[in-house]
Amino acid sequence: MQVVYDGRFEGFLTLVYDVYYKKLKPINISKTKENNLFIADIYEVVTDENNANKVLEAIKKSFNKEHLNLILNIFLCENEEFEMLLLQYIITGFKDKYELNNINNPFVFKLQRIQKELFYTVHKMYGFTRFVELDDGTLYAKIETKHNVVYFLGKHFFKRLNNQKYIIHDINRKIAFIKNDEYLGIQNISSFEEPNISENEVHFAKLWCEFFDAVSIESRENKKCQQNFMPLLFRTYMTEFNQKS
Amino acid sequence: MKNDIYEKMRILADSAKYDVSCSSSGSDNNHKTGELGATHNSGICHTFTSDGRCVSLLKVLFTNHCIYDCSYCINRKSNDINRAAFTPRQLADITINFYKRNYIEGLFLSSGIVKNEDHTMALILNALKILRHEYKFNGYIHVKLIPGSSDELIREVVALANRVSSNIELPSDKSLKLLAPNKTKEKVLQPLKYARDISLEKETKPIGMSTQLIVGATPENDKDILKLSSVLYDKALLKRVYYSAYIPVNDDKNLPAVITKPPLLREHRLYQADWLLRFYDFTYDEIVNDDNPNLDEEVDPKTFWALQNLQHFPMEINAVSKEELLRIPGIGVRGVYKIIKARRFKSLNFEDLKKLKISLKRAKYFITCKGKYQKEVSFYKENIKEAIIKPPKKKIIQPSLFDMDYSAITGEL
Repeated sequence: MQVVYDGRFEGFLTLVYDVYYKKLKPINISKTKENNLFIADIYEVVTDENNANKVLEAIKKSFNKEHLNLILNIFLCENEEFEMLLLQYIITGFKDKYELNNINNPFVFKLQRIQKELFYTVHKMYGFTRFVELDDGTLYAKIETKHNVVYFLGKHFFKRLNNQKYIIHDINRKIAFIKNDEYLGIQNISSFEEPNISENEVHFAKLWCEFFDAVSIESRENKKCQQNFMPLLFRTYMTEFNQKS
Repeated sequence: MKNDIYEKMRILADSAKYDVSCSSSGSDNNHKTGELGATHNSGICHTFTSDGRCVSLLKVLFTNHCIYDCSYCINRKSNDINRAAFTPRQLADITINFYKRNYIEGLFLSSGIVKNEDHTMALILNALKILRHEYKFNGYIHVKLIPGSSDELIREVVALANRVSSNIELPSDKSLKLLAPNKTKEKVLQPLKYARDISLEKETKPIGMSTQLIVGATPENDKDILKLSSVLYDKALLKRVYYSAYIPVNDDKNLPAVITKPPLLREHRLYQADWLLRFYDFTYDEIVNDDNPNLDEEVDPKTFWALQNLQHFPMEINAVSKEELLRIPGIGVRGVYKIIKARRFKSLNFEDLKKLKISLKRAKYFITCKGKYQKEVSFYKENIKEAIIKPPKKKIIQPSLFDMDYSAITGEL
């Protein structure tokens, strides 16, 4: 049976509900209905917040925190075909939560690897996110990432920029983590205008680039090593790779 | 302005770049509400230089003026180079502004000696006070203690910094005397010993300390170097020892010529050995001894040890302890944890290990799975070493134009 859901977390939880109470036997789960007339056996999940909540409560009650977090994190990874694995994970967990520690289970191992990839991106972005100062003093960062990491970054910078206002703007997902005197959290950004940057910005960006160029040792040059640690995909908004001086 | 701020930055970053240490790890989260800055336990790399090194801290010299004349040092008195100096205020402002933009984790501050040791240390302390007290900055600060400065100043610096260090640079007193006539090992270690003692008094977590050794400028062998590191770790004096392949910057009759290439492989092997000391419970004399005073260039130190001690192998992956697993070449700390986790549920075979993404490239010659040993290479030292250095090439069948039976003109078969 092919199962289609709306791609949201609530949708997926409803799907889990339906698997238990409508005895679905999915062999494939997708977010969009494929244009395939040959598959007769299609079930479309109708998202039901109520049922979704019931499932979430049940998971919270019978799963360890570590396993619950994995389920939430996997959802932030996106792109991956994780649904069948995650369904199997949840079903197994309800039966025997000890089995979720068994990394010999291919679905446990694969999901842990997907989660690890998410943490990799998060950790890289802790370092590679770059803020610019706007003319009202707000710090503003643009990001484009494979996984949805805005929440993690927002939390991380809340500790270190505690006395600052800041915005972390995920350009592709059209969302932003905003922290100012009135608001703290994630918002949708449907459209935006390039904000005004403070006068100081050019000065410090240039100073940073001077520093960055000066600390490299020519006799040890190793661009390949540099790229292993800092793949090109992270460099889009990094000051030291965008400043032409 | 003759010596504008950009040039100053260039000069003082350039002068500090040969200092290897740039880690920002090992400090627990210590943010405070309404203030700026926090540290991250695992450390964070904010960018990588074109030589592939992590940049975590704003690593600069306070000044590159110096009254000393150490032969290996680019900033020695007798060198004709551009000199510059920050003011404490300038440095604090740059640090804060870099930090807000997430360029850095914090500051790494070292300095040439101006006037005298105490004067220099006091300037550094001044910058620290502005950052910590005035700007309420809680990010990472690493300070190079100035050997020979007064206990009182060191006490104040230790109270404000996350990590302090003092570079031994050369592994023996003899070499120091030759190349850095104003330094002795005692003098270099003195501030570290003092810093340890005061942080022990306070019953708080002792402050992290590190040092750096230059490799390849003087005739010490790897045994001398690792023995020194091991002693320093054992006395709980240091958290890290850094090794820096000697890069000739000065012409000096006592030094290798300027054209020599930095011994990068040796540096790499030393780091591997250092990891064995710190995370794999090896002692230095297991890795190097009088018969083998230098690390092997062809294989890593763990493999080398295993080849010398084949009586412990092959190990049965399902039976041996965690400590024994750690001794298997090619399997790291994470691999060991995966094996331990997985074997609680079933007895593992080679296929299972592959599924867990554990690299068997080297390990397979040193393990058995459920009593089975791999079949390609027999269990002799020479054979295994040979197989590890020159892994059997995968056969690539290259189709040749002439193998096939077709017409060269029409292409018809």
